[in-house]
Amino acid sequence: VGEATPKHLNMLLVEEQTLLRRTVSLTARSLGLGTVHEAANMSSAERLLRDHAFHGAVIAIDCGVAERYSYNLALLDQVRAGMSASVPTIPIAVMVDHATPDMLEALRKRQVSRVILKPFRAKVLLDTFATFAVLDSAGAAGRKDRQRTV
Amino acid sequence: MLAAPIPSNDAERLAALRELLILDTPPEERFDKVARFAAQEFDMPIALVTLIDENRQWFKARVGLDVCETGRDVSFCGHAILQPDIFIIPDARADERFADNPIVTGPPHVIFYAGAPLTMPSGFTIGTLCLIDHQPRELDATEMAILSTLRDLLLEELNNREEARRG
Repeated sequence: VGEATPKHLNMLLVEEQTLLRRTVSLTARSLGLGTVHEAANMSSAERLLRDHAFHGAVIAIDCGVAERYSYNLALLDQVRAGMSASVPTIPIAVMVDHATPDMLEALRKRQVSRVILKPFRAKVLLDTFATFAVLDSAGAAGRKDRQRTV
Repeated sequence: MLAAPIPSNDAERLAALRELLILDTPPEERFDKVARFAAQEFDMPIALVTLIDENRQWFKARVGLDVCETGRDVSFCGHAILQPDIFIIPDARADERFADNPIVTGPPHVIFYAGAPLTMPSGFTIGTLCLIDHQPRELDATEMAILSTLRDLLLEELNNREEARRG
């Protein structure tokens, strides 16, 4: 993962489906949205989060979960608890087959900015990454303003 | 109706296509899954991986269409292979090249068409990844980029096939 600039964002996509993952990653690059790093399972996502700083992440929370569970929030907790190389407040969207009230409450507590339900479309994921880029630019502008007023 | 034009290098183009040994082969999951993905991604009733043979377009992968080939002269993909990039017809009924085409006026009622040419490293365009709807449509910039990516992934598969054949 290279040095990030406001014009080149590094983002993470955790999703099992190879074709969806590859399509989003390659299209993000061609549209100049930044680099979307791909993880097909929890362990590679954990490793990427530990080693590299991201500006945002889209995570399939049913990726690699044990049979009796319907979702796994461990990656979100890893980021929000500051146990990753990323700023703990980075925007995170989640992908899930269907949402329940309990799940939505758990996601709200973890400041999830968007819940994406099936059918998963590359365009929706790309739009989500594009909003992350806008949020990052707005955050950078806010930080500059604060520096000027100090 | 304007019949699909024949490019001046068609003999060489056909030779490149036939060298792939792909025409009239059984369906393959690696091509089928791209067609399925495209149909779902763009919410299109028909998505095809087409190969343009001398007198027909043959479908290596197809979603939403029962036939395995149609005539080259009536094909939209026959036009698309002459284009440098994605060929879009938002409403075939309003386009004099296609308005009276039998596949517009009759089944499968091609109204919207988007075809991404499959241009091999040799420079020859052997077919398309195409999307068809029964109603007028447009694609925005993101959708065009997604279609280009899917085309590029198909080309990777076709190149792998060519390399495997050459051993």
